[in-house]
Amino acid sequence: MATAEQALNLRGGGRSRRRRWANRLAEVVATLAALTAVAVLAIVVLSIAKRGLSEISWSFLTEPLPLFGQPGGGIAPLIVGSAILVAIATLIALPLGVLAALFLSEFASRRVAAPIQLVFDLMSGLPSVILGVFVFGLLVYGHTQSGIAGGFALSIVMLPLIARSTQETLRLVPDSQRDGALALGASRWRVVLGVVLPSALGGILTGTVLAIARAAGETAPLLFTTSIYLNSVQSDPRNALPNMPVQIFIWSESSDPEDHKRAWATALVLLAFVLLTSLLARAALHRSRRKLGQ
Amino acid sequence: MNETVTMPPMRPVDVAEREGPKAPVGETVFDIQGLTVRYGSNAAVKDVDVEIYKNLITAVIGPSGCGKSTFIRCLNRMNDTIPGFNLDGRLLYHGVDLYGDGVEPIEVRRRIGMVFQKPNPFPKTIYDNVAWAPRVLGMKKGLDERVERALTSAALWDDVKDRLKKSALSLSGGQQQRLCIARAIAIEPEVLLLDEPASALDPIATQKIEELMQQLKRDYTIVIVTHNMQQAARVADRTAFFSLQVEGSERYGILVEYDDTEKLFTAPSDRRTEDYVTGRFG
Amino acid sequence: MSNVRVTFQEELDQLEASLQEEGQLVLRVLRGALNALGQGDVELADEVIAFDDEVDQRYLQIEETIQSLLARQTPVATDLRLVLAMLHMNLHLERMADYAVTVAKLTKLVADVAGDPMLLQSLQEMGERAEEMIRVALDSFANRDLEAAESLVELDELIDRSNRRFVERVVEVVGEPGLREWVLRMVIVSRTLERIGDHAVDIGEQTAYLLTAEFREFTDASHREQS
Repeated sequence: MATAEQALNLRGGGRSRRRRWANRLAEVVATLAALTAVAVLAIVVLSIAKRGLSEISWSFLTEPLPLFGQPGGGIAPLIVGSAILVAIATLIALPLGVLAALFLSEFASRRVAAPIQLVFDLMSGLPSVILGVFVFGLLVYGHTQSGIAGGFALSIVMLPLIARSTQETLRLVPDSQRDGALALGASRWRVVLGVVLPSALGGILTGTVLAIARAAGETAPLLFTTSIYLNSVQSDPRNALPNMPVQIFIWSESSDPEDHKRAWATALVLLAFVLLTSLLARAALHRSRRKLGQ
Repeated sequence: MNETVTMPPMRPVDVAEREGPKAPVGETVFDIQGLTVRYGSNAAVKDVDVEIYKNLITAVIGPSGCGKSTFIRCLNRMNDTIPGFNLDGRLLYHGVDLYGDGVEPIEVRRRIGMVFQKPNPFPKTIYDNVAWAPRVLGMKKGLDERVERALTSAALWDDVKDRLKKSALSLSGGQQQRLCIARAIAIEPEVLLLDEPASALDPIATQKIEELMQQLKRDYTIVIVTHNMQQAARVADRTAFFSLQVEGSERYGILVEYDDTEKLFTAPSDRRTEDYVTGRFG
Repeated sequence: MSNVRVTFQEELDQLEASLQEEGQLVLRVLRGALNALGQGDVELADEVIAFDDEVDQRYLQIEETIQSLLARQTPVATDLRLVLAMLHMNLHLERMADYAVTVAKLTKLVADVAGDPMLLQSLQEMGERAEEMIRVALDSFANRDLEAAESLVELDELIDRSNRRFVERVVEVVGEPGLREWVLRMVIVSRTLERIGDHAVDIGEQTAYLLTAEFREFTDASHREQS
């Protein structure tokens, strides 16, 4: 039987002291690991910013490069080109991805859904260089490079991402919502269109934005399909379009230090775009979660 | 006498032999014959024979796992959504077999509505919650009046008439449940199935729902599943008692007794019913 | 089948035990009153009157317990019928004790008169019938015996017969000088004993209600038989 003193001894003895040290040690190690990860990102951002910031100016962002190798000018064609490529990719991947996810989540039986799910998983694991080669063989070989081919290649990158994130969002919509709508005598499609999809819109948007951020930076698919250097802004996707990732690659191979500086600056622009869209996507996701009542 | 007297077993006097049901019984809405439900190879309920009458509140009571929810979900074909579901027997609604060839589940659910245990309003405005189904089903004329009528019948109009455009999620739990009831009656069904409608609500909200049911039964036929016996005793005209039957490794639900609520709670015919309503068996 | 409402069941059992004890007290009161009557024992009569307080106490306690049970446990079905039956029986037992007190009080009033031995004998017989009826009523309730409960009607008949003989004797004796007031009082005693019998029948009806869930008077059955 414990004495009153022993019962009140809430401070603990030697064993608890060792426990406390172990706790503290684990905390410290975990924090250090987290800080390391943050540090890596910070180093990447800072080093690119350091090397590229000097080139950034309003004219850099809005003017094309000068015709005959003079200094100055900018990457306007690249920005426009990248934008068009991503737009084409989104136009293809968004409806396909959302519909595929809807099918998998709401309509397909277990047996049909499993293999399709597998296909999407494999697709997202495909090395982007292989995608580039594939689209090259499909659309470029025997014809010319084009923005359409580039956009198409990027859409293959985006498709599984959008499908997966749409699926996740649809899963978040509780079955009680579907039951409630079904019990009112609505058909399956009406339930999806009227109740499930509206609730999932926020998450779908987020997934799309994240996919865009990813696609904007893909280089390998574009190398094979729309790898071109132009002085002026091009907007016809039937021709090859200049774009940021490929151009960074090309400039980094050049011997001209001016080109190197331009490469760093372009990298900074691309990085800024990706970071900003990622943050935007997270904010949108947070808002849509709150709306769903989570 | 110092020892406590334990009750000797009752003599088998036939308490069932009394005058017939006191609550006037009208038209038959559901005629259920030999209903057996299986999920895959597991039986959930077996051999249920019961008639549900118009404009009465019929309660379904029984211990957990005895198939009450399964039974009630058969009445509006909501079990169709569950994989492996199959049904034997006949479920006649005004003489039509609900599971017969050519019967559309959608048509069934337009006439037989359901309110669930946990309130599940859509993340839309209050107005849109009630108006969504009528719109979808083509009842587009007089939508405003329809919404007001439904909300009034659900005893919610006064609470929300000034904030129809606010989100439904801003309502309290009890109000949300009444909104779900309004949503269900907006499409003018004949039958309302309530699956433990008050179990997620506090006592006052529960009381409001019970009051509401008494008013609603004038216009609708109501079937309510409840695990709260006192609620069944307060609210229902007729009560069906389901219990668990164990046969080897099989466990399924059966209908033990179905009678006037008053009879069930003063002089039940079956010993199992007696044991359940007196709380003698957990 | 496990009984999950152990506490409730214990409460019901204790209540019933209490009621049976009250029944035993009533029997003692009645026996005391009958003895006092037969022996003209005024002191015994006083004891009987005082003892009624105990019965009253028991009565009130049982009333309170039933009220508490109804409020807290919301009994249904058999439990409900049992509690309602006990509520009524409690009342009947208390009335019976009061009637016994009436007999004792009347005994005191006529203590100075010797009275008619035949009438006294008659009254003792009626009193014994009443005692028997009380016992049958209590036992049939304890054993949940419907037939025994229904037999109380026939036993009541026996009291009626004793009463008729009593009246015949009264008619013979009422003219005698000095006996008129005594006879008058004894007539009241006989009425009182008859009423005790009626209450015993009522207890039997409560037992029948418990077992059959029907609200019914036994006299319906006996009237049908008499024709």
